[in-house]
Amino acid sequence: MNQDLERLRHVANLAELSLTEEEEQRFAGELGRILTLFTELDAIDTTDVPPTAHVAGIEPVSSEEGWRADVVQPGLPHDEALAGAPSVDHGGFAVPTFVE
Amino acid sequence: MAEDVIAIAERVRRGETTALAVAEEALARIAARNGELNAFLTVSTVEVLEQARAVDAKRARGEALGPLAGVPIALKDALCTRGVRTTAGSKILEHWIPPYDATVVAKLRAADAVLPGKTNMDEFAMGSSNESSAFGPAKHPLDPTRAPGGSSGGSAVAVAGGMTPASLGSDTGGSIRQPAAFTGTVGVKPTYGRVSRYGLVAFASSLDQIGPFASDVRGAARVLSVIAGPDPRDMTSVAAPLDDFEGACGTSVKGLRIGVPEEYFAAGLDPEVEASVRAAIARLASDGCMVKKVQLAHTRHAVATYYVLAPAEASSNLARFDGVRFGLRVPGDRRTASSTRSALRAMYGATREAGFGDEVKRRILVGTFVLSAGYYDAYYLKAQKVRTLIRRDFEAAFREVDAIVCPTTPSPAFRLGEKTGDPLAMYLADVYTLPASLAGLPAMSVPCAPTRAGLPVGLQIIAPALRETTMFALAAAWEAAQA
Repeated sequence: MNQDLERLRHVANLAELSLTEEEEQRFAGELGRILTLFTELDAIDTTDVPPTAHVAGIEPVSSEEGWRADVVQPGLPHDEALAGAPSVDHGGFAVPTFVE
Repeated sequence: MAEDVIAIAERVRRGETTALAVAEEALARIAARNGELNAFLTVSTVEVLEQARAVDAKRARGEALGPLAGVPIALKDALCTRGVRTTAGSKILEHWIPPYDATVVAKLRAADAVLPGKTNMDEFAMGSSNESSAFGPAKHPLDPTRAPGGSSGGSAVAVAGGMTPASLGSDTGGSIRQPAAFTGTVGVKPTYGRVSRYGLVAFASSLDQIGPFASDVRGAARVLSVIAGPDPRDMTSVAAPLDDFEGACGTSVKGLRIGVPEEYFAAGLDPEVEASVRAAIARLASDGCMVKKVQLAHTRHAVATYYVLAPAEASSNLARFDGVRFGLRVPGDRRTASSTRSALRAMYGATREAGFGDEVKRRILVGTFVLSAGYYDAYYLKAQKVRTLIRRDFEAAFREVDAIVCPTTPSPAFRLGEKTGDPLAMYLADVYTLPASLAGLPAMSVPCAPTRAGLPVGLQIIAPALRETTMFALAAAWEAAQA
């Protein structure tokens, strides 16, 4: 198996995507080309540059203590929370077997 | 619509028309054009007429009406609407009915706006042409063979096609500004954090921001003033006081320093787009703005940076679509899976395979890869550092100028199908909108002179964080200069 395809299958498994063989072939090539685009970043000198995970200079909603007040708010009613679920059992989300 | 946001709200408040008449007109226009343009995925006929009657009843009781009284506002289908299906342009949410309203939707309702429906979009907002929608693309109102842009294409078409005077979209890397430029509408991406993201189907959380489209600058400013503000349900929403966005429209721009970044007039820019944008800048100069050259040296790396970071965040955000709590479920076939694969994991895989389209799968794969063990530092962390350099470029420029003006897109609206075969070509279409997104800055697109073929062109105005007022002042001055 070539490296591109092996990498693609590894990533698809991590991402819980069951791809068809045609998709595996196509995405393996495309992933390779997209990653090649990213190599331009290697040449940029980022010595001592801190990463930006979130734009700075913006303070999140908070109280004076830095946290919002811990006050109980009404949440979604149980039946509404379950209303969009594909399968419900005993008042909870039902899923297929995952432990033998 | 024949009228803009403010004209409708004022006429409804004065009793010169009714919210019901306005809503009926919007529904008639949607009925007349949506078959061709595919702008709306869901039309809320019953709900919008009910909302309009409620506004009229409120007025009849002598109560004060809100700032968007009776104004029909279309909503991108990534915004949760209680009781109205919200698909995010995806098969995986085709039948999902949210049990709650997004904060912006609740705010629009409280301002007495009426909500005629949900607009088409690229699937999970991943795309620049509307072609990744699972429900077929929205079409350009001036030329249905062309793309209206994306991802908020349907919201742009709702306004450009005269169906509603305003709409909401979301902008992660240009998804409001680019379709605004393509369709000749006003589109605003506020400062990151200005508007609550609660109830927006998440794509890339450090970049996503909700904003308005409108047929004019003041209308966009009024809608933004309604939806903006801190929200305890979004810890990234900004606690800063709200400025008078609408009041900023019409203020003098004399003496404002506007920066023109050379990097935005580089190879690949359509000559007609360049001429139109340069003419707008010249006009602002003759109105008393001081035009200066600025450098944004890392602009050319914005595409690579964005297409590492946004898919990384998306791969994490979209993990929730697993067939358990909402949306599609497809039972997996264990025989095709390995012996270590449980029925649960087979269901995850089959659901996501059936529910997601190509572009979403592509970005999940890219994002999962750049976050995976052994590659995180080389790709994700590196891109976050380059993001810092892109931010610093703007910080340096804004020490010299009050705002930056440039093209919104390198070309006018391209043809449907023109870029679908090549994901990288599609990504490059975002080159001028990505940097402001990565830096979290407010930016907007306003129409400037169209091409000889009559296709709209967008002038992009970028302002320092939380300085939307400067942006609106310039946009309104330019709009007035053309009138």
